[in-house]
Amino acid sequence: MNHSNAVAGTMQSTKHGEGIVVSHNGFTSIARALLMIVIVALMVLPFLWMLSTSLKEQQYILKTTPELIPNPLTFTSYTQLADRIDLGRTFFNSLFVALVGTVGQILVAAMAAYAFSRLEWRGRNTVFMLYLATMMVPAVVLVVPQFILIRQLDWVNTYQALIVPGLFSAFGTFLLRQALLTIPKDFEEAAFVDGANHFTIFWRIILPLSRPALATLAVFSFMGYWNNYLYPLFVARKESVATLPIALATLQAGPRALTEWNIVMAGAVITVLPILVAYLLAQRWFVRGVISSGIKG
Amino acid sequence: MFLAPSLIGLLVFIVYPIIASLWLAFQDWNMLSAPKFIGLANFQELLQDQDFWRALRYTLTFVVLYVPSVFVIGLGLALLLNQKVRGMIIVRTSTFLPVVASWVVVSLIWKWIFNPSYGLINYGLALLGIQGPDWLFQPQTALYAMVITSIWKDVGYIALLYLGGLQSISETYYEAAQIDGAGRWRSFRSITLPLLSPTMFFVAITLLINYFQLFEQVWLMPMTDSAADRQLRVIVTEVVRNAFSYNRMGYASALSWVLFILIFIITFVQFRLQKRWVYYESQ
Amino acid sequence: MSRKLTVLSMTLVFLLALGLIAPVAAQDSTTVRYFTFSAAPDYLEELDEIIAGFEADNAGITIEVETAPFADYFTLLQSGIASGDAPDVFELNYENFVTYAANDTLLDVGSMVNAEAPYYPRALEAFTYDGKQLALPESFSDVLMFYNADLFDQAGIEYPTADWTWDDAIAAATAIKALGDDTWGLFSPVQFWEFYKKAAQNGECKFFNDDMTESTINSPACVETLELMTGFQTSGLMPTAADLSGVSDSELFLSGKLGMIVTGIWMFGAFADAPFNWDVQLEPMINQHAHHFFANGVAVSATTEVPEAAAKWAEYLTSSETVAKVRVAAGWELPALDEPAYFEDYLKQTPPANRAAVFTALESPVTPPVIVRQSEMQDAVNALLTQVVDGELTAQAALDQAKTEIDALIQ
Repeated sequence: MNHSNAVAGTMQSTKHGEGIVVSHNGFTSIARALLMIVIVALMVLPFLWMLSTSLKEQQYILKTTPELIPNPLTFTSYTQLADRIDLGRTFFNSLFVALVGTVGQILVAAMAAYAFSRLEWRGRNTVFMLYLATMMVPAVVLVVPQFILIRQLDWVNTYQALIVPGLFSAFGTFLLRQALLTIPKDFEEAAFVDGANHFTIFWRIILPLSRPALATLAVFSFMGYWNNYLYPLFVARKESVATLPIALATLQAGPRALTEWNIVMAGAVITVLPILVAYLLAQRWFVRGVISSGIKG
Repeated sequence: MFLAPSLIGLLVFIVYPIIASLWLAFQDWNMLSAPKFIGLANFQELLQDQDFWRALRYTLTFVVLYVPSVFVIGLGLALLLNQKVRGMIIVRTSTFLPVVASWVVVSLIWKWIFNPSYGLINYGLALLGIQGPDWLFQPQTALYAMVITSIWKDVGYIALLYLGGLQSISETYYEAAQIDGAGRWRSFRSITLPLLSPTMFFVAITLLINYFQLFEQVWLMPMTDSAADRQLRVIVTEVVRNAFSYNRMGYASALSWVLFILIFIITFVQFRLQKRWVYYESQ
Repeated sequence: MSRKLTVLSMTLVFLLALGLIAPVAAQDSTTVRYFTFSAAPDYLEELDEIIAGFEADNAGITIEVETAPFADYFTLLQSGIASGDAPDVFELNYENFVTYAANDTLLDVGSMVNAEAPYYPRALEAFTYDGKQLALPESFSDVLMFYNADLFDQAGIEYPTADWTWDDAIAAATAIKALGDDTWGLFSPVQFWEFYKKAAQNGECKFFNDDMTESTINSPACVETLELMTGFQTSGLMPTAADLSGVSDSELFLSGKLGMIVTGIWMFGAFADAPFNWDVQLEPMINQHAHHFFANGVAVSATTEVPEAAAKWAEYLTSSETVAKVRVAAGWELPALDEPAYFEDYLKQTPPANRAAVFTALESPVTPPVIVRQSEMQDAVNALLTQVVDGELTAQAALDQAKTEIDALIQ
């Protein structure tokens, strides 16, 4: 299982679009094209349905013959949504938490990864084992004690509660360590000779060199914070700090929500749109990250 | 020291809660009075608790239905995605869209789609002349609905994992096989599968570890006050319910540790079994 | 550089001064922290009105309000108590009162409250535990039968009267159901709350034996009661959850497609604009009347540092005239006070016309059977009830199972 070199290699040079060249004979091509269309449709249709429902007026939702194009098309569900939950605030909360959390997580993980890969010290491997071990523990084991800890720190319903515990993900450290291991020692040695200290090397040399890995971690981290549900559910439900998934879930739990699907779907659109856009823009990093984390095994 | 923030944070927010959770598992605590040490009583109760076994049963059923399906479908999708065809990148992008959406959003969209009277699925079935079931109202059908939703959400990710493995198989193998006159199916069986097996192993492990911890779909999708809502339970929902609705912190912690042990055993068994079927190039 | 230094030092001095003055100023007034679920989000203004009234009468006491939605309220309250950070005064509903009382978290306010305060005796009693007054009744609501008068006219049948039995109701429901395919006769959900109420209507079905050591939920009388309830759905008079497909029972009623619905008086506001004539009546009986009586109470924390101020606030919040007026005017639950004068305005509002039923129902109140592990009992019973409705279990089998599970919970 010694594939860390493969990881490093792949991280730096994943070729996309590389694939098997296939025959273009008539029948297979058509069948394949059909299959491709069906798949794209299956994947995208539910999102379109969500969008469509959100643009419908209340009385047109409960029809036994679904219509994809809303008629009439209206944005009232969005305004009603803004009445139910403090949309601006919630959106801001999600964005704030995700951005601060991502930046924080990257910094913390990068520093730790640096310590694990470029510095020699006693017990290095043992401590790293500790990190790996924590990655194996199911998240649910942590829910109760973390909740109590947050309570004891008096952080309930604060931004800290949403941001801080996630900063110390062992996964991030692990990912970055793998990437840093691939950077040759020569870079540092030259810098040392020039009189630089560890911090300068870290900041000016190592970090820039590991940009791909950092970008990948950033993407996973942002996604994690943006979509997080179980943990914020018990730690930050007050409207002033609630994030979009929480607000969305409380919306659908309300007494009237079961028939006001247009409002619920409007909430869904707003919750999912940013992350979809982020994905489309940063596809490269997502794909790279997933593939390389897979090969490691 | 560089390591300091990370290590301190890890110790405080992860290691300490893990240890605390283990300690809690041996206590009886409802948060209003002091915790009471009760030794193994939580675990004993657990083993006799009908709700636990029911939750375990539903979790296992889900895993058995979902994992093989997404395992195979994901592979099929990856094989498709691996072909150098124009427009394939659109397919790949679209399959990943569900992956980045949060489970809250996905649960709600599919809850609406599975609505027996107004949803797309039963409408489609009606067009085929089939009377659609009450999906998210009954536990059994709700389970199927969740499996389908989960496959939809995860298949893009799984396919991508496979894709990485597929693309790292050196072309020379296939070329050699072609020279020897091997057909497509033959080379798939003898080259692709074995060389892909490390990735398959990773996928299997990831799926099992993640899906024993299944939560959001089961918490959010069943229709309120329906039979599905009242009866469909999985292990993580039981932990959450015991902790936050019944206020049995000790029992909830014990449950979560049992889950941990379960996952650990299964992963361990997987690792043992890998010698049988996983082929590593370097060996 | 020296200018910066001067500004800096002056700011520091200023801050220090503030820091010294602030606590001194704060010491002149006592702060009472009040935690509530019923006030948010709809009644915060009313609460402010009440607070203003209290602070005017009690100079030197400030009330600080914290709110949480009902679903999270008890988790937050519990963890607050667990971490030693309990609010001074907080709301409790009747079902949770027992747990808190049993765990010594509530202060005995019996001696601190004006003996002349006009609480309903029965309400006061509900919030005693072990002979001590551990909370004060804040508000009450009850559950009645609402009926769509227009549908009754259409079916040509008499409106419900106060002596109706469920047989009468079933007959009426059948007539209404016959009006059309998408019209339903009645709605009375098959769940824990309704079950213990129907049990009380039956009179002989009791969930527990007298000293609460064993559950008697599987007695023949209880089986009979359960069969009556599930019969509504199996006979097609009442829609199942799947029939509703996500539409709530209240919305079904509002759409004019439901003849009778058993629900709480808090729905008066929601139904006010219904496009048909409707009214309320006592709920039909089996052998006797029984109506849900829900009460919220206000308790003082056992660990509060300001017991007198807290008790004053609790008393004001639950029994003052200001509070009664504000609540009645806003429809914010009814104060649990035996003062007919307060309710005159309430009785005059329509719809519904028969508001007197709200108070008649109080003569046959039934409170839920409460044990410490309340939520677990409810969940267990509810799960079994759905199995009866789906035909998976007979009523007897389900109740036998319920007894086993409940017995385990009261160990």
